[in-house]
Amino acid sequence: MPAPPVGTSLRELYLSESARIRHGFEETGDGHEAAKRRSDLVNAIAARLWEELISSSPEGPQRFCLVALGGFGRGLLLPYSDVDMLFLSEGNSLEQQLRDRVRRVCQEMWDLRFRVSPFSRTLAECERVDRDNIEFTISLFDCRYLVGDRRLYSRLHDKIVPQLINREWQGVVQALSEVTRTRHARLGNTIFHLEPNIKESPGGVRDYNVAHWMSLLKMFEKDGDWPDLATLLPAPMREEAQQALDFLLAVRCFLHYQHGRDDNTLTWEAQDEAALRGIGLRGGEASSSAEWMRTYFRHARCIFRMLAQLLEEVPSARSSLYQQFQRWRSRVSNADFSVVEGRIFFHSSAAQDGDLVLRTFEFMAHHGLKLASDTEHRIEQILRSGTARFPCGGELWSHLRAILLAANAALALRSMHSLGVLGRLIPEFKLIDSLVVRDFYHRYTVDEHTFLTIDNLHRLSQPQSEWERRYGELLAEIERPELLYLALLLHDLGKGKQTESHLQASVQLTVGTLSGLGLEPQEVETVRFLIASHLEMSATLRRDIFDPETIAMFAERIGTPERLKMLCLMTYGDIKAVNPEALTPWKSENLWRLYITTANYMNRVVDDQRFHAELESDLISRVSALVPKREKQVREFLEGLPQRYLRTHAAEQVTIHFEMASQLRREPVQLALKLSRDLYELTVVTVDRPRLFATIAGVLSAWGMNIIKANAFSNAAGVVVDTLYFKDRFRTLELNPPERERFKRSAVDVLSGKADLEKLLERRAGADGNGVVKVTVETRIAFDNDSSSHSTLLELIAQDRPGLLYAIASTLSRSGCNIEVALIDTEGQMAIDVFYLTAEGFKLREGEVHSLREALREELSVE
Amino acid sequence: MTKVEAVIQPSKLEAVKDALIEIGIDGMTVIEVRGHGRQKGHTEFYRGREYTVDLLPKVKLEIVLSDEMVEKAVQAIMNAARTGKIGDGKIFLSKVDEAIRIRNDERGVAAL
Repeated sequence: MPAPPVGTSLRELYLSESARIRHGFEETGDGHEAAKRRSDLVNAIAARLWEELISSSPEGPQRFCLVALGGFGRGLLLPYSDVDMLFLSEGNSLEQQLRDRVRRVCQEMWDLRFRVSPFSRTLAECERVDRDNIEFTISLFDCRYLVGDRRLYSRLHDKIVPQLINREWQGVVQALSEVTRTRHARLGNTIFHLEPNIKESPGGVRDYNVAHWMSLLKMFEKDGDWPDLATLLPAPMREEAQQALDFLLAVRCFLHYQHGRDDNTLTWEAQDEAALRGIGLRGGEASSSAEWMRTYFRHARCIFRMLAQLLEEVPSARSSLYQQFQRWRSRVSNADFSVVEGRIFFHSSAAQDGDLVLRTFEFMAHHGLKLASDTEHRIEQILRSGTARFPCGGELWSHLRAILLAANAALALRSMHSLGVLGRLIPEFKLIDSLVVRDFYHRYTVDEHTFLTIDNLHRLSQPQSEWERRYGELLAEIERPELLYLALLLHDLGKGKQTESHLQASVQLTVGTLSGLGLEPQEVETVRFLIASHLEMSATLRRDIFDPETIAMFAERIGTPERLKMLCLMTYGDIKAVNPEALTPWKSENLWRLYITTANYMNRVVDDQRFHAELESDLISRVSALVPKREKQVREFLEGLPQRYLRTHAAEQVTIHFEMASQLRREPVQLALKLSRDLYELTVVTVDRPRLFATIAGVLSAWGMNIIKANAFSNAAGVVVDTLYFKDRFRTLELNPPERERFKRSAVDVLSGKADLEKLLERRAGADGNGVVKVTVETRIAFDNDSSSHSTLLELIAQDRPGLLYAIASTLSRSGCNIEVALIDTEGQMAIDVFYLTAEGFKLREGEVHSLREALREELSVE
Repeated sequence: MTKVEAVIQPSKLEAVKDALIEIGIDGMTVIEVRGHGRQKGHTEFYRGREYTVDLLPKVKLEIVLSDEMVEKAVQAIMNAARTGKIGDGKIFLSKVDEAIRIRNDERGVAAL
């Protein structure tokens, strides 16, 4: 700054230079430069005032000097920020004369309209740390000489402050962490705010400053003296953090000038204005508000992440109980990783492969531990090296699946994302990096929203409310939860493409990813369906959910109960992740309502919704493709089978059943047994006859099997396709492989009439003790003669026990009922059965219903 | 000035909002509520548990208007929200003593 001309009043100087600084900022948009120039200006003014009012020599008087602190000390002053200054004296207290002069200096500065924050301290007072005023001590870390006794200042800078730090750094670090954590907690521990405060919000200027101080203290602790400020922040983050700071300084300058005061709230309107003027952006080009905010969030995330690392490294003086816990956590270390103070380190220093990187994230997701910054740097190096080979195809899916299913999936995914690993494995994910959906509803960027949807589901395992408990139970029923999580991970990728509907775009983008994971066609179809339909349920909620037609249309679009469950949970997770208040109890209840009404509807129309060959040919062509030249027979087989059967079986499975049905003339009872995950799956294809279902259930019961799930369907020609999933309670089939054949033969014999079921059951009787009843289930028997046009619906809830299904089915047979369709399910100790019954081809009459009800009551009464 | 309170079916909210905007009313407050009049509740059984809804989900709109707009608004709401079935809802009118715009202390009809 050129020397002010003689005679220029201080006010004129201040005003003209301030205007020049503002003009400069408006031209260049360089906030850093503007802040620096303003600091120089205040410097010059302070020096002038000192000269006029305190001492004509800039180095005098003795034992008294003026020191810049805080932001001013760092040489960066924002247009309306406070100016922190320390009037430092050596002796016990200021003489009255000096005190008056100091007051005048401050008065002059106030008159010039800048907010000076003066501190008067002696050297000795500076050395003490006041727990209630830790801010003052911290502001000393940025001290800078202005005017006055230079030797006095040197004593402060070279002796007093270093001594203070070396003595008190642990306490200061702790106090600093606590204050920061409190501030973060007050602001939701997230950088995502619709109108962030650039100074106070997580990822803002204050966080940068805290990171600066913590690094300073860390270096001091190592070297015992002032470190080189240029290399203060941890290396890999340094450049990015500096860019982030420059951005924030530009925004703060902009806000100060806009508001005319120290207001750091980035209001909605301010965002629009800043975007228009390209504030903080290279080249200062105008951008859309959404794109501009995206840049903001990227910078904020960088600072927040850097600070989080530093905070975690604080050796904490937490309770010894916590320390014990941390040490216990170290015991989860394994061959690849060590856990030290709750953070993951690589064991080997030569780690270079992508497989290890993925295992690290699996470990992270499983144990809920964060990575040490060293580990993060190594992973970034591995990515940059370009030589590391990352798993792909089925191997990749195996890792990804493990991460998605683990309780701390979101933690790991966030880390994968910020380190660039996720973008490497799923390139389309980069499209939604920090992507802002700019309205008053969406609080999070699309990537953060995605992680939250997954986290919302995992949190259901620890329900905090009645609602969470219900949805949690639903989650536990999902057969393939990994497909649900995968769908959530990919469901909003389409938002990164500027298209009308992000649904279609998401589906298109994920086609490549899904095939790249080596998923089977049915799995791909499920994920594709979920992504394409993820707004269906919300849309239906806007209609009248108590109108049967709404339910029917919705059920038709969804197809099967399993898909309905997954979609319900997807909707739950999605809405809850829009903003913390989005899933109100009102909405939650309506969503649940829609789910159960639709689930019930689906179970009540199985009988009426049957396949008709002349109407639908897609399935015919798919099955026919697998068994060429037999299309006519395929049509005959499919004719009359419930839609439920067709929707829950892949074309390959249907083909197997078709082949079995083709063999019936030769072998009237066709049986297939296989192990499917942890349950056995028995398929019976045969011609329908009285007591068939009961007999099958009886055979399984006689062999000590516990039926968990079952479906019984038949086609127009009277061919039955029954599938039963059971647990081998006594591990008969597992421990003795030949038993499997014997079991199958036994079943065939009984079903062919060659063996006597009663004899078989007798041998079993007494072998089953009464199991421990943990939860008493109340029996519920409900008949419905309205829902189906052909059959009487029986919905039954009962306490599960060995042989229950046989008992029920036998009772039905004895009462003269034919089972048209059976849908059997078990939930814990609760048996949930749905039967479509006819008597002599018609619905049951009232008298028949009554006697059947009595018979069932008797059978199911608890002994 | 009159306050118009309308309790309507949630599925009719969009239609009612559009109808009001069309006649020049674009300021309103919307609240998610539960309630019932003569419309019976619903009971569904799921997995052996009974889920009874006797307080049905509804939406309540609140608008304060100058008196000459009221009849138009009421007609617009009714036409958009009516299905003819029980459960359509109700509209209540009440007098408002004063309206004040927080931003600049404008009062009376000017504040609406």
